Amino acid sequence: MFAYLVRRLLFFVPIIFGVMLLTFVLFFVVQSPNATARRVLGQRATPKAIENWLHNRGYDKPLLINQTPGEPWHDSLFLNQMQRLATFDLGASDVTGRPLAEIFREGALPSLLLTVPAFFASLVMSIGLSLYLVFIRNKAVDLAASLLCVMLMSVPVMVYVIFGQFVVAQVLNYFPAFGFQLKGISTVKFLVLPVCLMVVSGLGSEVRLFRALFLEEMGQDYIRTARAKGASTAVVLLRHVLKNGMINLITLLVASLPFLIMGSLLLENFFGIPGLGNVLFSAIQAPDFAVVQASVFLGSLLYLGGLLLTDICYAWADPRIRLQ
Amino acid sequence: MPPRTIPRLFASLAAALVLSGVFPACSNNPLPEPLQQTREDGSPWKVRYAALPEDPRSLDPQVSYDSVSRRVLEPIQECLLEYHPYKTDPFELTPCLLSGLPERSETADGRIIYRCSLKSGILFHDDACFPGGKGREVVAADVEYAFKRIADPKVECPVLSTLQDYIVGLADAFEEARKAERFDYSKPIPGFVVTGSHTFEIHLKAPYPQLLYWLAMHFTAPVAREAVEFYDGKAHDGVTRDLFRFHPVATGPFQIAEWSRNTRIRLKRNPQYRTTVFPTGGWGADQDALLKPLAGKALPFVDEVCMTIFKESIPIFLLFRQGYLDGMGVGKDAFSSLITPARSLSAKYIERGVTLHRDTEASTFFMAINMEDPVLGKNKKLRQALSAAFDAKSNLDIFFNSVPIVAEQLLPPGLAGHRKDFKNPYGYNLEKAKALLAEAGYPNGRDASGKVLELVLDTTGGSANERMMAEFDQRQFEQLGIKIKIVENPFARLLEKLDEGGFQFATGSGWGADYPDPENFFFLYYSKNVPPAGKNHSRYRNPEFDRLFEQMATMENSPEREKIALQMNNILSEDVPHILNMHRSTFALAQPWAPRVQSNPLLEGGLKYAVLEHGTREQLRSEWNGKPLWPVIVLASGVLAAALIAINARRKH
Repeated sequence: MFAYLVRRLLFFVPIIFGVMLLTFVLFFVVQSPNATARRVLGQRATPKAIENWLHNRGYDKPLLINQTPGEPWHDSLFLNQMQRLATFDLGASDVTGRPLAEIFREGALPSLLLTVPAFFASLVMSIGLSLYLVFIRNKAVDLAASLLCVMLMSVPVMVYVIFGQFVVAQVLNYFPAFGFQLKGISTVKFLVLPVCLMVVSGLGSEVRLFRALFLEEMGQDYIRTARAKGASTAVVLLRHVLKNGMINLITLLVASLPFLIMGSLLLENFFGIPGLGNVLFSAIQAPDFAVVQASVFLGSLLYLGGLLLTDICYAWADPRIRLQ
Repeated sequence: MPPRTIPRLFASLAAALVLSGVFPACSNNPLPEPLQQTREDGSPWKVRYAALPEDPRSLDPQVSYDSVSRRVLEPIQECLLEYHPYKTDPFELTPCLLSGLPERSETADGRIIYRCSLKSGILFHDDACFPGGKGREVVAADVEYAFKRIADPKVECPVLSTLQDYIVGLADAFEEARKAERFDYSKPIPGFVVTGSHTFEIHLKAPYPQLLYWLAMHFTAPVAREAVEFYDGKAHDGVTRDLFRFHPVATGPFQIAEWSRNTRIRLKRNPQYRTTVFPTGGWGADQDALLKPLAGKALPFVDEVCMTIFKESIPIFLLFRQGYLDGMGVGKDAFSSLITPARSLSAKYIERGVTLHRDTEASTFFMAINMEDPVLGKNKKLRQALSAAFDAKSNLDIFFNSVPIVAEQLLPPGLAGHRKDFKNPYGYNLEKAKALLAEAGYPNGRDASGKVLELVLDTTGGSANERMMAEFDQRQFEQLGIKIKIVENPFARLLEKLDEGGFQFATGSGWGADYPDPENFFFLYYSKNVPPAGKNHSRYRNPEFDRLFEQMATMENSPEREKIALQMNNILSEDVPHILNMHRSTFALAQPWAPRVQSNPLLEGGLKYAVLEHGTREQLRSEWNGKPLWPVIVLASGVLAAALIAINARRKH
C-alpha cells in the first residue's frame, strides 16, 4: 500500500508539469501578458508603460528556456513560475497585486458553504429517489419519474437560476435574490436558494445514473437469495443493493469531493457568493494569468488527490481489492 | 393505528409547522446591518446602496485609472481641484484642496510656473498609520510625494507618459529609478518646488493649460508617505497589513469601513470632513426646489455608502425592484421592461416614483482608418464614401436601443469647440456614398480593371453580439458593391494592431475624455502622436492640422480657441481619418427616496452630494416586500399529505 502511494504521488509530478505547460501555452496563445497590461493600464498605455508593467512582473523574461548569453537557461517565465509553484508560493494577482494565497484562503469557505450542503443533499435525495424508483420499477410512477429526470437534465442551469431568483426572491420574497454575508446562522438565508438550485439542477442525471446502477444490482443472484431468505424490500434495498452499489458510487463521488472547494462558477456569480468559482470567473474575464495558473495548479492537485482517494476507498469498500 | 404511526404523524406535523414558520421568518433583505442605527443626535443613520460590477483593481490614487476604481476612490480621495457638479456646458473647475485656482506665470526661458496654495487645516483620515491613529494635516510635501510617486516605475502610474512631457524632471526621475531599480524619494524633482508648508510650484517645460485638469484628477492628489510605508502588505507583529492600494488614506468625505473582497465595499462618513460645502448655484431653475435648501450645507449628506458587487446584471434589477438598491444603470437585460419605445420610463415604474436619467459621457467612438494603408490612406474620396455609407443611427437603434447619440464630430457635447448644429458632411447618405466611390475610382465598387474592391475590417470578436455588429458593419459597406473581409480579434489584440498599424480600418476605437478640453481629443490626430509615441492610431499627418493643434493646445479657453477647434474639426471631417459612430449615452434609474442631485459626467457618481429620504425608503421597502402565505400553506399541506400517504401505504404493505 505504501509503495503504491509513493508511486502514485511520483506520477503526479509529470502530470502536473504537463498540465501547467499546456495552460501556459494556451494562455499565451489566447491572451498574452502584454494584452493584460494593456487592459490594466487603460487607454493611455504607451509601449514604455507596458514594458515597465511586464518588467515588474517578470513577464519580460524568455517564455520557456532562457537562451540569452550569460543568463542561466532556467531563468525563463515558465520555469520560474514552476519553481514558485513547486514550493506552493502562488504569487500575486497580475491585476490587483493581491497575494493569491490570501485570495484562495478567503474564497474556500464560501465555496464549501455552498457546495458541501448541496453535495450531501443531492446525494441523499438522489440515492433515496433512485432506490424508491428501483423498488417500484416499470410502474407508471417510475416511467413518469424517468421522464421528469430527463426534463430536469435538459434544462440549462441558467434557466434554474433565473427562475429561482425570480420566483423565490421576487414573488415569494422569502430569501434574498442575491448576496452573501458570513455572519453566523444568518448566512443560511443566503445559501438556501443557491443550494436548492444546485441540488435540483443535478438531480435528474444523478437519479437516472444511480437508478441504473441499482437496477443492475437487483438482477444479481445474491438479491434472489436474500429474498428467498425472507428479507424485506427495505432490507434488500438498503443492506444489499445500496452496499454493493457503493463501489460504483465511490468512483463517481469520491473523485468529486476535492472539487467541492473550487465552488460553482455560475451560481457563485449569480448569487454574489465570494467563493473560488467567483474568483476564477473574474480572473478569466480580467484576464489574470497568475490567478488562472494558480487555479489550474490547485485544480490539478485536487483532481489527482481525488483519484488517489478513490483508489483508497475502493480498498476500504471492497476487501477483495488490494492496492499494489 | 400501529404504535409507530403516531410519532411519525407528529414528526410530519412538526416538520410542516417548522416549514410554515421558517419561511415567513426569513428576510429577503440581502444588505448588511448599517454600521450604526442612529446618528449621535438621534436622527436616522443614512445609508446609500449602490452597485459595482467588480472589485476595484487599485485604490492607489497614482495608479487607479479604470472606472470602477475611480468610482470607489472619488468619495475617499479628494483632489487639488474639482469639477463643479452643475456647470457642465462648459465644464468649470473649482478649488478643492487648494485655496484657489493656481496662479500662472512665465519665466524668461519660456518655462511656465503654476503657484498653488493648499487650504489649511485639512486632515487626513484617522488611521493606524499615523501616531495615535489621528490623521495629520495635509501639507505641500504630501503633494510633492504624490508627484514623485507618479515617476516611480514600481508604482506604474498610467499617465506618466503624458505628464513627463511637460513637468520638468519627471522623465529623468523615472529613467534614473528604472536604472537603479529603486526610486530615490529624498531627491527633489526640479519641476515640483515646495515653497512653504502649504504652498508649492509646478514648473512646466512649455505652456500646458491642461495641467489644471490633471490637478482635478487623483493622480496628483496628496498622499501621506506614512500610509504608503505602513500599508506594505507584510506581516507586522503577527498581523498582515493590507497593501496601500487596498487601503487608501486620504482626506475625502468618506473612508473605507469594510471591504469584503468580491462582495461589497462599505464607506463611512469622515467625521472631520470640512473641505467643501454644497454649491450655492449653477443648477437650472427646474432643480431649485430640490437643491436650494441644500445650498451651502456641510457635506456629505449620507453617513454610509454600501457598494455591492454584482457580476451579473439580472440581480441588480431584482434588488432595485425590491428597493434594496437606490439606483441602477439600465442595461440590455431589463431594458424592454423599464423603457418604452418612446424612450421614456414605463408607467409601472413612474407609479413607483422612480425617475429616469440620461447620462451622456464625454466620449466619442469611431472606426479608425489607417492613413498609411496604400488603398485607403491615399484616396480621400474612398474614405469619404465609406463614411457616407455607414448608417450610425441604425447601428445605435439595433445594438444600443437608440440610447447613445450619433457622433457628427470628434468632440463630444460639453467640450469647448463642440458645435451643436454641426453636421458631418460625410454622414450617412448612400447615394452620395456611391457617387463618391465612383469619383474615388471605384464605380459600383469595381476598379478600372473591373475587379471588386476588397477591404479588410478588423473588429473585436468573441461574443455573438460582437459578431452581429461586425456583420452589420460589413453589410453597410457592401451596399456600395465592394467586398469587406471581417477579421475578428480579441480586444487586446485589436489594440496591438492599432498600435502596430497592421490594419486597413478597424472598429473598437474611441476615446473617453480624461478632461473636458478639445486637446484631449484632437491629440489623437497630432502627427507626433503616431504610435509608439502616442495614440494617433490612424497615423494621420496633416501639417496644417498640426499647426493648429500646437496653437490651440497651449491657449486658454476663448472664442478664438473655439474658432481654431472648429477649423480642426472641419479638416478632420473633410479628410475622414475615421468613420464616426457615437457619443456614449446611458439610462439610469433613481428610487424616489434617492433623487439625483448632480449629473456631471466627469464625476464618478458624485457621492458626496448624494441625498436620501430615510423614512420614505423604509415605508416603500416594506410595501414592496410582502410575503404571501399561500406557498407555505401549500408546502405544509404537501408534507402532511405525503406523510399520510406513506403511512397508509406502509399499513397496507
